[in-house]
Amino acid sequence: MFNRKIPAAAMALSTTVLLALPAAAETFRWAGTTDPQTMDPHAVNATPVLSFLNNVYEGLVRRGPDMSVQPSLATSWEALPDGAGWRFNLREGVTFHDGSAFDADDVLFSYERGVSEPSDVRSWFASVTDVVRVNDYAVDFLTSAPNPLFPGSIANFMIMDEGWATENGAALPAREAETHATRNANGTGPFMLDARDPGIETRLVPHEAWWDTAEHNLTEAVFTPIGNPATGLAALLSGEIDFISPIPLQDVEQVEQRDGFKVLAGLETRVIMLGFGHDHETLKYSEETTDENPFLDPRVRLAVAKAIDVETIDRVIMRGAAEPASQLLPEGLSGYSEEHSERPEFDPEAARALLEEAGYSDGFSFGLMCPNDRYINDEAVCRAVASMLARIGIDANVNAMPVRGYWDELRAGNFDMYLLGWSPGTFDAEHPVRFLAHTPTERLGTWNFGGYSNERIDALLAPIQSEVDPVARQVMLDEVAGILQEEVAYVPLYTQPLIWAMKENVDVVQRPDNFFMLRWVTVN
Amino acid sequence: MPERGRLARLMRSEGVWLFSRSPAAILAAIVTVLIVAGALMAPWIAPTNPYDLASFSLFDGLLPPAWEEGGDPRFLLGTDDQGRDMLSAILYGARLSLSIAAMAMAVALVLGVGLGLAAGYLGGRFDAVVMRIADVQLALPAILTALLIDGISRGLLPRDLHDDLRIAVITLAIALSLWVNFARTARASVFVERQKDYVQAAIMMGQHPLRIMARHILPNIVGPLLVIATVDLASAILLEATLSFLGVGLPADSPSLGTLIRIGMQYLLSGEWWILWMPTVFLVVLVVAINLLGDFLRDLFNPSLR
Amino acid sequence: MVGFILKRLVQSVFVMLAVAFLAFSLFRFVGDPISQMTGVETSLEDQARLREDLGLNDPYFVQFARFTGDMLRGDFGYSFRTREPIGEMLLSRLPATLELGVVALLVSLVVGIPAGVYTALRPRGILSQTILVGTLIGVSIPTFVIGILLIFLFGVQLGWLPTFGRGGTVEIGWWRSSLFTAEGWRSLVLPALTLGLFQLTLTMRLVRAQMMEVMRTDHIRFAIARGVPWRSIRYRHALSNTMIPVITIIGLQFGGVIAFSIVTESVFQWPGMGLLFLESIRFVDIPVMSVYLVVIAFFFVLINLLVDLLYVAIDPRLRVRESV
Repeated sequence: MFNRKIPAAAMALSTTVLLALPAAAETFRWAGTTDPQTMDPHAVNATPVLSFLNNVYEGLVRRGPDMSVQPSLATSWEALPDGAGWRFNLREGVTFHDGSAFDADDVLFSYERGVSEPSDVRSWFASVTDVVRVNDYAVDFLTSAPNPLFPGSIANFMIMDEGWATENGAALPAREAETHATRNANGTGPFMLDARDPGIETRLVPHEAWWDTAEHNLTEAVFTPIGNPATGLAALLSGEIDFISPIPLQDVEQVEQRDGFKVLAGLETRVIMLGFGHDHETLKYSEETTDENPFLDPRVRLAVAKAIDVETIDRVIMRGAAEPASQLLPEGLSGYSEEHSERPEFDPEAARALLEEAGYSDGFSFGLMCPNDRYINDEAVCRAVASMLARIGIDANVNAMPVRGYWDELRAGNFDMYLLGWSPGTFDAEHPVRFLAHTPTERLGTWNFGGYSNERIDALLAPIQSEVDPVARQVMLDEVAGILQEEVAYVPLYTQPLIWAMKENVDVVQRPDNFFMLRWVTVN
Repeated sequence: MPERGRLARLMRSEGVWLFSRSPAAILAAIVTVLIVAGALMAPWIAPTNPYDLASFSLFDGLLPPAWEEGGDPRFLLGTDDQGRDMLSAILYGARLSLSIAAMAMAVALVLGVGLGLAAGYLGGRFDAVVMRIADVQLALPAILTALLIDGISRGLLPRDLHDDLRIAVITLAIALSLWVNFARTARASVFVERQKDYVQAAIMMGQHPLRIMARHILPNIVGPLLVIATVDLASAILLEATLSFLGVGLPADSPSLGTLIRIGMQYLLSGEWWILWMPTVFLVVLVVAINLLGDFLRDLFNPSLR
Repeated sequence: MVGFILKRLVQSVFVMLAVAFLAFSLFRFVGDPISQMTGVETSLEDQARLREDLGLNDPYFVQFARFTGDMLRGDFGYSFRTREPIGEMLLSRLPATLELGVVALLVSLVVGIPAGVYTALRPRGILSQTILVGTLIGVSIPTFVIGILLIFLFGVQLGWLPTFGRGGTVEIGWWRSSLFTAEGWRSLVLPALTLGLFQLTLTMRLVRAQMMEVMRTDHIRFAIARGVPWRSIRYRHALSNTMIPVITIIGLQFGGVIAFSIVTESVFQWPGMGLLFLESIRFVDIPVMSVYLVVIAFFFVLINLLVDLLYVAIDPRLRVRESV
């Protein structure tokens, strides 16, 4: 497929020495802040759910440690002529956890289920017009236009057993009341669901008849959610759990210094950025500037970019674990623009000059909206940004709020500037363009709260999505990245770090999408 | 002259005598006065203004107290993650916490005692209604009250007003969770006192109910009320800290002691101990002092306890 | 008496309705449930449809009426987040909270009342002073700080006790109890201590205050003058008179325990109703929040009713008053 350059930081691979005989029985206990809310792979399109269920269910393709797309339930796939779609050749001899055999009917059923109304994964099949069963072990996905990224984009589309689902009344994902699939699972993956106690504990055991060779040595895996970070840290240090993600940045040093523990610090595929109200005619939260919106002037936006010292934010607040970002996606992902990998330099003098040029030498005040429980140290970063902007004369009034109300406020336009973190679900540059840069419509630009709009970018989106030649595609993506930078549509700040902490004798693989794959875990 | 007489009487009164005999009370009083004075005068005596965003810089972040290695004499007690001077933050924070707690307690006292006395005295339907409202109030944990009031204000008020009113919101939320204590105690005491002969006599003689309450009932419940009041004042301060911990307290750019502690909790194990322990110790000392003073006051109002 | 109870029960229903109404009309300010139930890639169209299907576009009167109607029929609805039946969720979490609350309350009473009596009878003794100062300091530290400190001291440094969760549980019918295993008790120690500490101090001080006051009243003095043995005075006369306000306070205590248990459950990841409620706020799980509040209101009403009954039982003077 496409060439993906992975920076060393993003590939924090821990290699294991595979012994001739696996080690003795190992119960692996791990924890996170959020319990997966359902065991139904089509019900909620969110990382805590998909990451967990990737151990129980599998898709046609899967991602390897370096995020490359690998065969899973499909052994191979090829594009159909004229970009009509993709043919997937399915793997034979695969059994579900209950013993039933896997074949094309299960794929068809899962597709119907995945595009049904109660499903939350419909958007993955937006370009699919039909799915055709070629034979017992081949399926065609027909698309309305050539879609070169399609196979990778359905890496989290998990296949369910038609028989089991229909027999147990789970033919559709749950809408209001739970179905059998909400607390039970029957997949083809390396682990089976043994017990599920929502919000308290979930237990997995290995699937003996798994089609692939197990690289892990676990006999049991137990997940407990621990909401309070201090409690989670204590649980790790007392030995009651073997692994926890994440731990607060400021505790990394302590954990590393302790005997018997280690920290895996990498980068997530999430870029933290500032957004503006491009369709706001006036500021909404200014104390004195109520008849205009200074941020409409690109010089003011550039001044903001130049006034923020991302290196210091990284050093002090992120403890050096973050990486300054220049675009809407992190370095190393497909479609990243090398041409535009420089972010505006920290230069408060130049920033003040720009403000003067734009006619705001007296500065102005405005409102900065920020979540306080969504991204790592989000509120602290906002306050740092505010104090840096204060130094060039523009006073940010920071309004930090819990994320549960945050998106509503942004959608209602209640901001002058806002903080946003974006992780491209397809690990490709087209994703942020689709959601953040395109003019907002029913299906596109749905997270473009500021209403940024550029005709050229809008026009380029469809060609980017259907361009098969990677070189031509990159040219278009470079152009988009250039426009976004020139117009300072957003101010990308940094790529968020990914911090996993565990006992010293545990070896795992850290993927930058923060998916935790039990099949790569060994307890020594 | 009445003033001189009163002052002279006060100086010779048992209260002052008792006070001078109790070292704990004296110490508590001194500490409380110092803290309250320091807090009230924060704008004048604090080295910096932690609420002024331009006055601190990230470069100064996470510095240890001045006497430690790496410390900076400008920041006596160190700085937090934003570069704010801990000493200033604590003084301003204490000011905020104390104001909120005092106001909340005052509101709770007036509301609670008023309703409790009335309910106990009038009985019947009024009593039933008040008690059921009390039940409703108890059923709503303080965090929810704070959340809901915050939510309403967020939804109904214009943005800039909403931020200014955060303090009022928290105060109201805390007051609402404290008034029931006062009400129930006042009401219970009314029941007990009412039965006494002299009160019955006063009623029969047709004395005005308010007068009866003020003269006969109130003085007798001052003791229990004072105990509750001081405990509640301390509670209010702690409740504010807890609300901050749960995420519905004051924002971090105008931090109260509770917010500072919440921020500090993140640094519990990471080596920057001063961010947590400075405000916590300060809070504990303040609350202990208030409690000790409260004990003393209660003993004072109860002549039979000498 | 029966009439009294009936009247109170009817009033209780009104209380619960009022709580539900208040909660319901204000929940929309907590946040947007839809964004918690769907992912980032979900189209606006699908979000809108979900909002419609869940009835979130209806005016809150309608939503409230639907909610009350369902509850009266025993249908507690489904969680927005996990789609579990809420009745089942609450029942599964109830034992954890109750066991924690009762043990904490017991701790506070078993230690608090004798401590209060002791410090009242020997106010100047060293032990009394130590108890008073010690509990004073303990109660001046915010609950969550105490909890975390205990976790790190006994869980991490010393490694004596578990740092989170309930330990081994045993199911008796639908009641999942942790009181029957050693692991369960070990997990209960720190949370119960944290939760009970505040109540313990309050109980102790109130008992002490009441006791000291009562000791000085006339009829005690007369009893002394009459030559009634000191011991008899202490326990029969003084203590029983102390109990009336104390019982009131205990009733309130249990309320405080339920309220404070939210913080304790959060710190210790104790799988009780308090934690459930906190998480339902975090995820804007409106049905769970609503049902939780109504259930809690019911508990409080019940407790207050019991307290008032106890009250009347202890003090005969009040019986006359209530019947009037």
